[in-house]
Order: sequence, then structure tokens, then C-alpha cells
Amino acid sequence: MGEVAISFPDGTLSLLEKLEASAHKVALKRGKIKEHEEKVLKMKMKIQELRRQRDELKTKLNVCQSQLIAGKDAMKSSRQVSEATETSQQAILKGKIENAKGLLELFRLTGLSGKLTEQGISLCINTAFEGTYLDSYYLDILIQQPIQIRHHSVPAFIPLEQIAHEHLQKDIKRFLSVLSDHLNAYARRKFQADQLQEHFAVFFKGCMKGNSLYTQLEFNYRVTEGGNFPFTAKITYGNPMNALPTKVTVVCKEDAPAPVAEMAAAHLALFYEKPLQEVFISITASAENLRQPITLASSFHSACGGRRVPSEAAAL
Amino acid sequence: MNSNELQACEDEIKSLEEEIKTLTEEYEHSQHQSMAYTDAEIMETMKLLRKEPEEELKQSESSPDQETQLNLLEADLSFLMKLTGIFFTHYSRKLAGKNGSKTIQSYRLSGNCQPISFQLEFKLMEESQMNRNVSAIVTDLNIIIACDTYCDLSKLVSRVEEDGNLLLFFRSLTCISECCEHRKRTFAHFKNKYPDIVVLPEGLYGDYMILRSTQLPGFELMIVWKIQVDEKGTITPILDLLNKIPLQGAIADRFASDAPCCFRSLLHVVGIQASIETVIRSISKGK
Repeated sequence: MGEVAISFPDGTLSLLEKLEASAHKVALKRGKIKEHEEKVLKMKMKIQELRRQRDELKTKLNVCQSQLIAGKDAMKSSRQVSEATETSQQAILKGKIENAKGLLELFRLTGLSGKLTEQGISLCINTAFEGTYLDSYYLDILIQQPIQIRHHSVPAFIPLEQIAHEHLQKDIKRFLSVLSDHLNAYARRKFQADQLQEHFAVFFKGCMKGNSLYTQLEFNYRVTEGGNFPFTAKITYGNPMNALPTKVTVVCKEDAPAPVAEMAAAHLALFYEKPLQEVFISITASAENLRQPITLASSFHSACGGRRVPSEAAAL
Repeated sequence: MNSNELQACEDEIKSLEEEIKTLTEEYEHSQHQSMAYTDAEIMETMKLLRKEPEEELKQSESSPDQETQLNLLEADLSFLMKLTGIFFTHYSRKLAGKNGSKTIQSYRLSGNCQPISFQLEFKLMEESQMNRNVSAIVTDLNIIIACDTYCDLSKLVSRVEEDGNLLLFFRSLTCISECCEHRKRTFAHFKNKYPDIVVLPEGLYGDYMILRSTQLPGFELMIVWKIQVDEKGTITPILDLLNKIPLQGAIADRFASDAPCCFRSLLHVVGIQASIETVIRSISKGK
């Protein structure tokens, strides 16, 4: 470090150069030391991390073993050792059974659950409207040549035979998927109509008319809680595998004033886009809005979404 | 002196790593012995055991029955997983609330449906005597997914999270899985049939294949096969033909501009497999 000597009193430049060079050397040396220190530090950190991992593993192992021992001890006190090990295996078996049962139960969320039977399979097709799970339908299928449906709980108006004829022998997955589409669309149409009658009864004149498959609906309605029923809606679901209509007409009485006719046109657009209960949330809320800024809209919404609190909705 | 320090550190690291390795093996072994159950689960079962000492005897007597029961359940599970293509790997359930006949359980469920793995969190409300046909309601749904091949599921996932529509989610997964499988099979079919022409840079799970002309070096066609998923779970395969032509001139330009269009109309008329076949035949003739 102390190697800087002034040998050329007038050579300021060269002196500076030398100074610079030695400074550089020092910096290099420091850098090396620093580098080394960093390396050591990193290694020490790694050592600490590894020690931590080792200790953790040791604890885990201890816990694991002591649990087994504790379990055995507890049983030793009442019974013989051989029996005790048997029972702990028993408990594990029981746990495994519970786990398998839980997973099997969760399959209904996928829309298809079931189990193997002696001669085939027993399947359950589940239906849902958004997050609300609805009815389930059962199929008992014999696996043989040709595949046969022995029992089922599919409603008569669902074209089960036709779907089976088209797909069952060729591709059972496809068969189940098409059948599930039909059942789901039916369940969703029915759910919408039920929700409407349940939560918006005051807006309807009499009952809703419809067929068993819920592909044709007709009803007279109003958008306020009093007065006459100026609108008549006819809704057709042309695709039985869909829960949104293909054809809608909304007519109002001949003597209806112009604003009512305008409303009818606005309703028409909504019926094509949204599920029925959402259409009514929006049209009754906007009618209410005209008179009163604070409305029931929010409570209707949470109630009739169906997915949040349907039982409370019944109170409405 | 310095190097000694370093050496000492290195030695310690080595010995620690070895120790960890043996400990891990030991731990895995003991886990395996306890039938792959976690510590918490072992605790649970032990607690259960201590609570019902009378029942233990009965249980040990019915042991073969329980084993048969477990085998049957596992057979059912593997059958359902094969049928739906959905594999559940782990789940946990916790009671989140009880109000009269209503129970709310919060679930964590993970699994996969090739090539997608998912992790779900949700609450399931069930009522023992629901007057209507409602059986359960899903709320507070959170979905994390990871997909091995490029496939944009974000629209579907955000819609499903909003509605709680788990049924739609699972059914879409099954469909996507089937679509990916179909794409993979088609790629494999052409790779086997025309090994000199077909190149799969990303393997069978990629979303494109390259067709190289054997006669014209540098001439390449690329068939991109994407799987599009919208928010309603509708799945559409989208195929496109791209090209790389090393030539300039009117014919090459016209080919470059017409080919994608022709390919699309071909797809409409004859379907995916036959369209790809046609394209491969046309370049293998050296046109």
C-alpha cells in the first residue's frame, strides 16, 4: 500500500498516473477481499439454511415417530401390542375410506358421478344453474354387447331413446355428454321459470303457461306492483339444448300509450340476452327507479340470483 | 488462511447436504410406512382411536370387509376419473358455518385434467331439507389453473368465478382435454405418415406443425392449431396456414396471399384431417 514515492518532482502527470495505478491496485485487492468475504458470507448463509432444513426434518421425523409410539403406548395400556398395530392400521384404513368417499362425493360437482355395479355402471347426471346445483338423474347401464340402459329417472319428454340410438353403442362419453346437455338445459329453463313465479309473482297475471319441456312459455305481466298487466310475452327455446330463447315476442295492449310500447321493445332485447329472473330484476328495478330512487333492486338481486341465499329469498 | 475458511465452509455444506439426504429418505420411508398420510392426519386418526375404544374391537373384526370396501371405492374412483378425464388429487373440507338445517363447508380441491391442472377454493352450502330442487350452492369460488400447452382460459375462469358455475368449469375442462388429445393424435398421425415432411418443433403437445418441402429447400408451411375457449365454455379449434417462401415473384406472392384463404375454405368443406392431408400431398408433389 505504501509504495507511492515521488521520484519526479516536476512530473506531476506521471505522479498522478502512478497514484492512479496504485489506487487501482488497492481497489482490486479490496475487491478481491470483498469478493472473498461475500463468498464466505453466502456460504455461511447457505450453511444456516441447510442447518434449518436439517433441524426441520429432524423435528418432523421425531414428531412422526413419537406419534406412532404415542399411539401404540395409548393402546398398549388397554390391549396387547399386536392388537394395537392392527387397530392403527384399521384407523388408517378408515381414514382412506373416508377420503375416497369424499372424493367420490365431490364428483357430483363435475356433473357426472356414479359407481360400478355387478353388471355395469350406475351413473348420476347432475344439473346446475350457474352455482346452484339442481336435480340429479340416474342411469343404470348394463355393460354387455349391446350396451343397455336398464333403469333411469330421465323425464319422458327428454329424447333419451333417440340420444341412446345415436351415441350409446359408439361412444358412451359422447352419449353422456349429449344427454347431460339436454338435462341441464331443461333444468335451467325450469329453474328460471320457477324463480320467476316464486319471486316475482306479484308482477304476473295468473299462472305462467308452458309445456313440460319448458321450451314454450307464455305469461301476462306488469312492471309495477299495482295496476293492470299491459304486457304479454311468448318465449320459445328453439334449441332444446340451450337455456336462452331463440324467439321472443312481447306485445302490449292495443290501447297502450307510446311509452309502454317502447318499454315492450326494451324488454324484448333483454329476454334474448339474460336469464328470466335477471330480466325481471332489471325491468322491475328500472320501473321502480322512475318513481323512487331507492329501490328493492339490490335485495331482489341477491335473492333472485338464486346462487347466494335462495331460502331467504322465499321471505320476499 | 482464507482458503482454509472456504474449505471448511464447503466441507460443512457437503456434510449437511448428505445429512439432509439421509433424513429425507428416512422421513419419506416413515411416511410411506404410515400409508402416505400426513402428520395431521395421523394425529386425527389417533385421536379417533382413543375416543372410541369399544368400537376398535368390532372394527378389527370387520377388517376384511373394510378392505373390500376400500377396494370397491377406489375402483369406483378410478372408473369415474377415466370416464370424466378429471383427476382429483387432493381435497380438504372444513365446516364454515351451520345454521339450522343449513351447513356451509369450505373446500380446497386440487387435481388435473390433461393438460390443465387446477386448484379450487370454494364454499358449498347445503340444506338438509331444501323444499325445492336445489341441492347445493357454490359461492366464493377461487380458481388457480396451470396449463401445459398454450390455451387462454382467462375469460372462462373469470366468468366461472363470478357465477360459481363449477359444473360448467369441469365440463369445459373435459372438452378442452378432448380437443388437445385430438390435436395430439392428429399431429402424431401425420408425423408417422410423413416423417420427412412433418416437423414438430414443440413436440406433440405444441400448437403447430411445420411442413417442409423435400424438393424445394427453404419452402415451409406452418399449420397453427389453436384451441379457443370463450366465457361460456364454448371450445372452437382455430386452424391457420402460414408460409415461408424463399422465392420472389408473382406466383409465389399469389400463393402466399391465397393459401390461407383456400385452407380455411378447405377446412369448412372436408374437415381438419383431410385438409392437412391435402396440403401435405400438394407440397410433397413439389408444386
